[in-house]
Amino acid sequence: MEGEKEKTATSQENASETQENQEQENKHTSAKQKIDVLLKATGDAPIMKKKKWAVEGEKPVGWVAEFIRRYLKLEASDSLFVYVNQSFAPSPDQIIRNLYECFGSDGKLVLHYCKTQAWG
Amino acid sequence: MAEDREILREVWDGRVAVCVQLASEDCNTLSAPDPYYLMVPRLSYFPLVTDKVRKHFLRFITTELNDAEMWLESDGTPLKWHYPVGVLFDLHCGGASLPWNLTAHFSHFPEQELIKCSSREVVESHFLSSLKEADGLKHRGQIITNMQSKDHKQLWMGLCNDKFDQFWAINRKLMDSTPEEGFKHIPFRLHLPCQPPIQRLIRPLTDDGRKVTLGDLLQEFLPDSSNEGDRVVIQGIEAPRETPLQWLSEHLSHPDNFLHICYIPTQMS
Repeated sequence: MEGEKEKTATSQENASETQENQEQENKHTSAKQKIDVLLKATGDAPIMKKKKWAVEGEKPVGWVAEFIRRYLKLEASDSLFVYVNQSFAPSPDQIIRNLYECFGSDGKLVLHYCKTQAWG
Repeated sequence: MAEDREILREVWDGRVAVCVQLASEDCNTLSAPDPYYLMVPRLSYFPLVTDKVRKHFLRFITTELNDAEMWLESDGTPLKWHYPVGVLFDLHCGGASLPWNLTAHFSHFPEQELIKCSSREVVESHFLSSLKEADGLKHRGQIITNMQSKDHKQLWMGLCNDKFDQFWAINRKLMDSTPEEGFKHIPFRLHLPCQPPIQRLIRPLTDDGRKVTLGDLLQEFLPDSSNEGDRVVIQGIEAPRETPLQWLSEHLSHPDNFLHICYIPTQMS
């Protein structure tokens, strides 16, 4: 287990290779393991050229939102909303691992982002 | 059902005694203001019940801070307003000494630890989002999406105005399940001091139809949790570990429809 954890940590860009193994391990990720997060634009939000990112499970949603803001070079005055399941906006301090464990599928967590409130 | 209603009512009526003092660094007058005492519903959120506290302290702080966001601290820990009051109390006070002593701050907002809360609408959207998340786990979100927005409003107003009947008239729909199946998953958050809560998928019944208990949940997600003296607190109650999760979810969940479980290691209590 130890070795596999390290492998995943170092090969973050090739995370897809280890995806299937992860699934077979009943989705229980270890604390340090990175999680594949797929970022999808919705509404009028600009799309990201690279959509799939390996994110440390302990990172909060607010960190990912800040990452998207920087990537898209949004103005400080622009709003950014992040949604799970196309239904709810997790609180900024919710950690990615919790969302992945509860709402992830096919070895990844899909997050939708938009500049105006999309779902409730 | 009659018995159930009594339990729901008791949980709804849960209050914690709070004493709030103004942080000395924010006090601009020669003598410190009197502390403000209040009874706060366990199920509520601090921004919904602290308007009077804010008003009480306003004339003791400098005018530059008049528009600043007030935040609360318990023994050095900034309190997350988006956790229900009862959860914060069980995690940070536990009732060892009452009232629960809090400090109100108007400066040095801890950006790293707290989310900003500029208005009640922020609390409302957090609350609704939690409801949607919880129903996503319980019923794949089908019940909450089929509700009208006036039903969402009624849940929110019921909570804000402490109206049990108003709230439960709608909330009972979110508690819908068959005894054979229960909810799809039990929406829970397992809180521990000084780390993010743990949230995972768990079903109320095993494949062979056995009821999954609180003890099973702890065993699975907190394997080191069998130290003697550690306390597992839900709504201020040390629930027996053999209690079925489905029952806990239906009776001891917070209005956000999550079962908030506080795990207090022995050295902390």
